Amino acid sequence: MMILITGGSKCGKSHYAESLFYNFDGQKFYIATMQPFGDEAQAAIRRHREMRRNKGFETIEKYTDTEDLQLPGGCGILLECMGNLCANEMFRSSVVCNPAEKILSGILHLKKIAALLIIVTNEVACDGISYECGTSAYIRVLNEINCRIAEMADHVMECVYGIPVALKGTIL
Amino acid sequence: MILVTGGAFQGKTEYARTQLGVPHENILDGEDCSFDAVQTAECVKTYHQLIKRLLSSGVDPLDFTRRLCIENPDAVILMDEIGCGIIPLEKAERLWREAAGRAGCIIAGQAETVVRISCGIPVIIKGAFA
Repeated sequence: MMILITGGSKCGKSHYAESLFYNFDGQKFYIATMQPFGDEAQAAIRRHREMRRNKGFETIEKYTDTEDLQLPGGCGILLECMGNLCANEMFRSSVVCNPAEKILSGILHLKKIAALLIIVTNEVACDGISYECGTSAYIRVLNEINCRIAEMADHVMECVYGIPVALKGTIL
Repeated sequence: MILVTGGAFQGKTEYARTQLGVPHENILDGEDCSFDAVQTAECVKTYHQLIKRLLSSGVDPLDFTRRLCIENPDAVILMDEIGCGIIPLEKAERLWREAAGRAGCIIAGQAETVVRISCGIPVIIKGAFA
């Protein structure tokens, strides 16, 4: 089963995503895509680590190249978050690339391995601001990826202040 | 009238083409189309940008939108949701947001059906399709 969870900043996506693993019996992996740059990122990482403590997740820090991950079949995977993975792939060198196909092949690879794959992404396209070209390209690519993952997913949820709203499938 | 809204890059144009059956060549782009053509178009996308252009040309976007509802009542309008950020510092940006919000309400009020799209997934938030 594959689930995509979207929503704005600090809307309870992570907590909801983790709650969906409560009854999952297999091995659980948390793929952390956020690079620990700066105080705010480090604080966010500490907060997320604290949330996952004792929930049986093995954390794998993987900032790019998810298509290379070797994980046991039938496991549970929580990938957080697509916004970071997309930025990491897109701006990894001085030449900005479109990483959509690469990222989607990574996701397809994880989908084949996992019994339960949950991807957390980010809603960044509703503020009406015209950003400079790098940022607007990022918003476009991230949303292209979101649309294509939503197509593959069994359930798509939008979190609103911790409340899951089903966009596809049902509330779990 | 049908309003298709949602954040930027969520798949609104694709939805108009594949689900509403609007041929690609019949979709006007609010970024660069003539104002007159909007009043007879089958479908107009990026209507929020059209509003910005109307404002900078000194045309009242709300009068324009009311006229659209009367003269082109079967139009399919595609328009981003743009009001979820911080209130902009620049006055022109504030006026644009306000006009876009009010125009969106006028169109949604007139439309039989309003669809909001996130991640390519349509959710009908008003009415239904026959």
